[in-house]
Amino acid sequence: MKTKHYKFFTFFVFFVIFGASAHSEDLRKIVSLSGNWKFSIGDDSKWSSPSYDDSGWDQITVPEPWESQGYNDYNGYAWYRKSFRVREIPSNTTIYLLLGKIDDVDIVYLNGMEIGRSGKFPPDFKTAYDRDRRYIVPADLLKGNEENVISVRVYDSYLSGGITDGPTGIYVDEDNELLDLNLSGKWKFQTGNDKTWKSAEFNDEDWKTINVPSAWENQGYEDYDGYAWYRLKFSLPHDFNKGELYLSVGKIDDIDDVYLNGEHIGNVYDLRKKSWMGVQYTGWEWTMPRAYKIREGLLNRTGSNTIAVRVYDEQGLGGIYEGPIGIMSAENARKYKNKHHNNNGYNSFWEYMYDKFFGNDNSNND
Amino acid sequence: MKTLLSKNKKRTLFISLIILLLSASGKAFVSEDNLVRLKGLEGKWQFSIGMNEEWISPKFNDSSWESIKVPSPWEEEGFNGYNGYAFYRKNITIPSNLKDRMLYLNMGYIDDVDEVYMNGNKIGSTGSFPPNYNTAYNAERIYYIPAEYINFDGSNLIAVKVYDSEGEGGIVSGDVGLYGGKTAVSLDVNLQSTWKFSPGDDLRRKESDFDDSGWSEIFVPGKWEDQGYRDYDGYAWYRKSFVFKTTDENEKMVLLMGKIDDIDQVYINGIFIGSTGTFPSRSRDEASTGQEWEAFRGYYIPDGLLKKNQKYVIAVRVLDTGGDGGIYEGPVGLITQTKYIEYWRKIKKDGN
Repeated sequence: MKTKHYKFFTFFVFFVIFGASAHSEDLRKIVSLSGNWKFSIGDDSKWSSPSYDDSGWDQITVPEPWESQGYNDYNGYAWYRKSFRVREIPSNTTIYLLLGKIDDVDIVYLNGMEIGRSGKFPPDFKTAYDRDRRYIVPADLLKGNEENVISVRVYDSYLSGGITDGPTGIYVDEDNELLDLNLSGKWKFQTGNDKTWKSAEFNDEDWKTINVPSAWENQGYEDYDGYAWYRLKFSLPHDFNKGELYLSVGKIDDIDDVYLNGEHIGNVYDLRKKSWMGVQYTGWEWTMPRAYKIREGLLNRTGSNTIAVRVYDEQGLGGIYEGPIGIMSAENARKYKNKHHNNNGYNSFWEYMYDKFFGNDNSNND
Repeated sequence: MKTLLSKNKKRTLFISLIILLLSASGKAFVSEDNLVRLKGLEGKWQFSIGMNEEWISPKFNDSSWESIKVPSPWEEEGFNGYNGYAFYRKNITIPSNLKDRMLYLNMGYIDDVDEVYMNGNKIGSTGSFPPNYNTAYNAERIYYIPAEYINFDGSNLIAVKVYDSEGEGGIVSGDVGLYGGKTAVSLDVNLQSTWKFSPGDDLRRKESDFDDSGWSEIFVPGKWEDQGYRDYDGYAWYRKSFVFKTTDENEKMVLLMGKIDDIDQVYINGIFIGSTGTFPSRSRDEASTGQEWEAFRGYYIPDGLLKKNQKYVIAVRVLDTGGDGGIYEGPVGLITQTKYIEYWRKIKKDGN
């Protein structure tokens, strides 16, 4: 009886701790984009162009629903535009654009190129009003010390509309400092499942490209759940770290199997201690930071290497959605996991619950 | 990611806040709360019993007609015992400084059925004339007057066709007058007129060649409860054909459908144009919020769909889940995107 009470109390404490700290990756803001934007209702593909003259447009405050800014009762299409400068383009890191929450659907262009989308525009309308917008900014699209233009096409079905709430700005991922080799960026992508796709020799030239890390829903696969594969070919720089190495694939929604040069090097369940019930799906795999040990001799230090990641997404957002992505030292892999686990080695209250109920008490989560 | 707060919850919260904020100012629906009285139209009107479609026209000379007091039952004005058709007519001047706002004609309470014309154009109808007679004696008549029907700074003829079944008849009471509302919208194709209407549901009704000749007529905008469908809840379709007259067919167009109680899907020649709310379906997990009836509809027409001087059929599928139903508030019509943007900029400036 006593133990049970103790456990219950601990649940409560954990609930409070995890409930309060929703923080996941370590993002640092380099440009704030809250405040005044240019705004127009209506819809015109020309408005995505950085050279479009929006000087006659209205001003609007971001983030805040347009209903409270003179557009009460307006439903339908509208565009937001904002220009900004970056003093220096950060190198060797992943750059994100955060736009908080957008009600209901959006496509975002940077300097005229689409960098992400959420929800579905009519006729197959689907809202994404409660999803946090976080899109990868390809470093080669950003201009240093020059005007950059973001344009956002929004569709609101009814009730509140626009860029309504949350952090807005350009951010960099601090966790990338843990990487010896950053592998984020354009990967090959294919929905479906085929075991030959793990092989280094498989020809993925026909596959689509996708930005890693960012959920596939942000990149044109709005309704997709199920299996999909990611592939990337890379070579190591000369004189690369000779020590023990880990491959980090960040966080994945939901379950992954990671292959390097055709060999299986990890799966989310390798990171969790085995319970008396064995390995089983809990629904919280998407919160686990993945860094898998690369066995000595597996990396090709002079030629080409191939990563293949099989992902299974049960529902909601899917794919490799959060970094860091790349190769890191054993020490940094430990740092990364510790940083994203709580001190007690759990990602979430639910994992803690799961573990207390089904877990093996004396094992260590690291 | 797995535990998304349901849209319903968020929206319910939002709505409760809005309701709290609005509760002091009353309904969002067009009502006298939102309208400013610009000119009283009580007093002497020209009057004749009988019915003749020529009396709708401003050209008709009514100088030999009786003069009658409005509002007042005609029984009290010398027509005691009369039941049946009658016409009221009055000329008014509308100054051009009223061009900036939407104008409404309040005809008060009419016993039993009416049709109201501005310069020969029908602007509203309530109740249902024989043979499908249906009284609406207890409904206040407030009709939006499309700006293109108005001869600003000149003479404007209001003609009111009334049918009284029994008891008191005519424009019996109310604050009869010209009223001003929100910022005016100038439609390129005005669709506020008589539409075809049929209760029930069948997706084939969206097609341009669907035969609606057997359907009844209804005035849009106006709730169907006031037009012969009292107490009707459920599915119904509206259809209207129009010719797309424009100076530049490459201009992006917006179809304003005003407000619809409760949810709708709109098609032009069978092509989906827009929708507000979610129709019940087994494959959808998103439920309606119950707030669709308050949303103002502006649907953007897909590029290239409308060609100059061609004929099109708009079909509107409506589901009313309870209470009032139908396309109940305007403006209804097509407007260029450029003018629609100006309209909203003006609304913001006017703060209404």
